[in-house]
Amino acid sequence: MIRRCLTTASIALFPVAAAAQTSAASGSDRKDLVSIAMFLSIVAATVVITYRSARSARSKVGFYTAGHAVTPLQNGLALAGDFLSAAAFLGISALVYTSGFDGLLYAIGFLTGWPIVLFLMSERMRNLGSFTFSDAAAFRLDRTPIRLVAATGSLVVVLFYLVAQMIGAGKVIELLFGVNYVVAVIGVGLLMILYVTVGGMQATTWVQITKAALLLCGGTLMGIGVLWHFNFSFGELLIAASKIHPKGQAILAPGGLFAEPVSAISLGLALVFGTAGLPHILMRFFTVKDAACARKSVFYATSCVAYFCLVIPMLGFGAVSILMSDPSYFHVGASGQFNRITDLIGGPNMASIHLAHAMGGPILLGFISAVAFATILAVVAGLTLAGASAVSHDIYGQVIAKGQASDAREVLVSKIAAVAIGTVAVLLAYAFENQNVAFMAGLALSVAASCNFPVLAMAIFWRGTTTRGAVAGGLIGLISAVVLVVLSKVVWVAVFKFTAAPFPYENPALFSMPLAFLFTWMFSVTDRSARGVRERAAFDAQLIQSEIGLPQAAG
Amino acid sequence: MPRLTPEQTRAILADPNFTKLAGGRARLRWVLSAVTLVMFFGFIALVASARSLLGASVPGSVIPVGLLLAFSIIVLVVVLTGVYVQRSNSQFDELARRLNREFAR
Repeated sequence: MIRRCLTTASIALFPVAAAAQTSAASGSDRKDLVSIAMFLSIVAATVVITYRSARSARSKVGFYTAGHAVTPLQNGLALAGDFLSAAAFLGISALVYTSGFDGLLYAIGFLTGWPIVLFLMSERMRNLGSFTFSDAAAFRLDRTPIRLVAATGSLVVVLFYLVAQMIGAGKVIELLFGVNYVVAVIGVGLLMILYVTVGGMQATTWVQITKAALLLCGGTLMGIGVLWHFNFSFGELLIAASKIHPKGQAILAPGGLFAEPVSAISLGLALVFGTAGLPHILMRFFTVKDAACARKSVFYATSCVAYFCLVIPMLGFGAVSILMSDPSYFHVGASGQFNRITDLIGGPNMASIHLAHAMGGPILLGFISAVAFATILAVVAGLTLAGASAVSHDIYGQVIAKGQASDAREVLVSKIAAVAIGTVAVLLAYAFENQNVAFMAGLALSVAASCNFPVLAMAIFWRGTTTRGAVAGGLIGLISAVVLVVLSKVVWVAVFKFTAAPFPYENPALFSMPLAFLFTWMFSVTDRSARGVRERAAFDAQLIQSEIGLPQAAG
Repeated sequence: MPRLTPEQTRAILADPNFTKLAGGRARLRWVLSAVTLVMFFGFIALVASARSLLGASVPGSVIPVGLLLAFSIIVLVVVLTGVYVQRSNSQFDELARRLNREFAR
């Protein structure tokens, strides 16, 4: 029971896996003219945004940070947009659809990362850094090793997240619009490369804001529709849902998702602290004017995400009570029987999409499909930009050119890196089309929580941290997270086809994250080098800068 | 990186406004982080240990206790971030501005 629920959970979190299993089940009959018209207008709008941002993307400050000119409300929407990926929108409502209450637990885990980002990261990030989160980590530490570790962590997170999103995107687009998988993946790849290389951070931000606004409107519309259907009584909705769901009353109580304490805590740690280590989220704090604006933008982002967490159960329970009685949304067997969970056309990840059709016909279906598409585009663009910045600013600009590269040259490297990352992501998405890639998004989050977050937190908050300690901690966090994921069921059994996994838990964060902190501490206190002494002494200057944000020279 | 001389660094660290700012902000940060984490992991512990309690309905309603708690946590998360932002806006920004003006020259 527990095992089955956990599997359902991982499928729902990573729509990739579920979609992969049900690929092209019924793509072509959903090719509605309305969907295609809305889809085309969204693509057109993003291209216009990109074209208009092109001028700002020529300078380094413009390319990486949209000239620090984004307002807190705009940045809050963009942050929320980065976070509300297709995995969150389709995946969590699918989890509510299949397991009820457990889906809500997942949503809460995601949401709880935000106050941590606010309290620990947002202001300090803005005061200590300029372009990437490595700036803050390397403020008083030796830039070459620290940036190499931070950039590696960023690239691992970005690539796994990106490939997971791309495969999910290909499958979802195939289902929504009846486009061939390879065409869909190449199309998404080309669009995201266009946004990033031509429009830089400003285009990426505005695509994200547009999508967040559309998603919030679409979610609200559907939430109101569901409540209207039940005379605005949440109780009636729950009664109707528990009557028709195969699990009955059990969907209103905790199921198996958090029943096993070690896995529950481990997943909780990855969800809560992973957010504070995601490079594409941390990068957004540089797009605003100052630390106060960074802080305010997290408040707006948290409010949007929280609002969405309240809407998602309406959609999930609404999909249960409205769709499950209507065979037209299911693959009906020869005997007229169908499984109300697994036989949903396109799999449970399509629950919100079908719900849109059930409530608003082809027009709402077209709108919500187009919103889901916009969500995919905006998130992959943000990831590509974060990856490109890690290559151009951290590795090229600071490590190879030692901070001596001209602005124009660094921006050029960044654009080349964006093309390269986009191409690699498309190729990997093509190669892994029929593989089980459920581990990818989980791995990305675990690495963020076990490498990026500990390095950053220790460098910012603990006087004793030295370069030696931070490098050791970051590397052990990165390596242990990757190795433990490989040894766990999602890779060892699902990908390599061994019978039993040596690592019995789904998520490594409970082990890899403390290990990273322990190693940082251990290799820092034993560091007797002159560099270590200097770095500890420089903590005072860093503390002052992080608190009051004296005007910095760019660089 | 701004180049603060060792004397300037010492002067700022000794400034009563700076100690008030850094100390106050640290207290607020760690207290609110602790509240957030206790709330979240406490809820997870409750889910793992008291499942039947969470599944029971709130008296006089059909809404289960667990669902109500979950919604309350979602609202509380926003309240906590709101408290941090409000306190920072009203207390810390002014102190930081004053120190910035004093030492940025």
